[in-house]
Amino acid sequence: MAVFMDLNLMFSADRTRISKLLETAAHLGFSTVAINYTFEPTSLLPLQEIPVPKPINELIDQLPVVQGRSRPIRVLNRLTVVVSDPSHYRPNAPEYRRFDLLAVQPTSEKLFHAACMLYDIDIICISVTEKLPFFFKRAPINGAIDRGVVFEVSYSAAIRDSTMRRYTIANAASLTDSCKGKNVILSSAAEKALELRGPYDITNLGLLFGLSDGDAKEAVSSTCRAALLHAETRKTASGIVIRDSDKNATSTCAGDTPAAKRVKTT
Amino acid sequence: MVRVKSRYLLCEVNVSESSDLLLLDDRAVAGAVRSAVARMHGDYGAALCSIRFSVKYLNVHNGMVFLRFPKSCFQFLWSALPFITNIESRGQQIPCFLNCLHVGGTIRTCQKFLIRYNTQQLQRILPKCKNAGNTEKDHVCQEILNCLPTRGTKPTYEGGSEFEEDERE
Repeated sequence: MAVFMDLNLMFSADRTRISKLLETAAHLGFSTVAINYTFEPTSLLPLQEIPVPKPINELIDQLPVVQGRSRPIRVLNRLTVVVSDPSHYRPNAPEYRRFDLLAVQPTSEKLFHAACMLYDIDIICISVTEKLPFFFKRAPINGAIDRGVVFEVSYSAAIRDSTMRRYTIANAASLTDSCKGKNVILSSAAEKALELRGPYDITNLGLLFGLSDGDAKEAVSSTCRAALLHAETRKTASGIVIRDSDKNATSTCAGDTPAAKRVKTT
Repeated sequence: MVRVKSRYLLCEVNVSESSDLLLLDDRAVAGAVRSAVARMHGDYGAALCSIRFSVKYLNVHNGMVFLRFPKSCFQFLWSALPFITNIESRGQQIPCFLNCLHVGGTIRTCQKFLIRYNTQQLQRILPKCKNAGNTEKDHVCQEILNCLPTRGTKPTYEGGSEFEEDERE
């Protein structure tokens, strides 16, 4: 049995909504989910506050058990930064540490290139609510694949609205053309429990987007796991542990960025 | 001899209010599937749907549906199923979604899977039974024990409706 993950559940302040979402996700068979906090900085207000993730036990009393397994569902926190300007993404900002996964949604060609090659992130979101203003080029995409960054396509906009459906399929198909189906994950950007879909249904949606059979199944399982492992190594690798004879071991931020680790999918 | 092959899709209808499930009937589900396929795949999809598509079985207590598709195009038609957002039945719109659990070549294989799945569901709801009414817990335990040695279908369907009753409480 493969482990299915859905790495994009939209955060809302309504507690009942989130608990219903988590229960439905557990019922459908997702072992791991990530609650997504979107952050959209605008140039009018510099230094906007990055949202702080709520601890899981505030959101739901008891984590529901995953269908078909004996463990409760694992819930992570994720931040998506919608960048329209290079200054919006601040590398090594301390607020980013509170999140398990980091994602970026670029809105222009240069930002996409920078996100693929330079930014220290795990996921690049492909926008589905508008026609992409830029085309994908092989070079930055291959660079991102080498680094272990995954591309994300979310499908709940397609379920809500017909025009969104066209944009989703168009953008996803052009992404699949350029990246040959590697390092793609499919996730819902579900706000309500009724917008989630089961893992086998999402695999089938992947076929519509142009992925092959094997790639579509991987998009829901092993590529997501690769993204999680990449996130863990990213979190732990950007620090030096200083052992002081008097104090306990502390970790401080290193000035140099480590070589990006390539995560192998098993 | 050439045999006409179909694929049977076992789906579960998930609703937010479990009382809405009782309003469903198989023609409503069939109509919803056909309209979703027509919306997604246009005239070609609608034509494919008219070949051998039907709703073979619907259990309103559980929300289990057996859909039959021709083997050659079942994946194509399956890709339209996630886009069903509500089912219209008796004048009411029921918001729901279909979750596919199993694909089988015959109804019998789907039924075997359904029996295993229902047994798992019984085991899942056992800890959730309220302690106040100990009879419910005993009932569920009894049903689980019934399912294990025999391979008959009867305990399962009773277990299915039991499951629904306990869910609602």
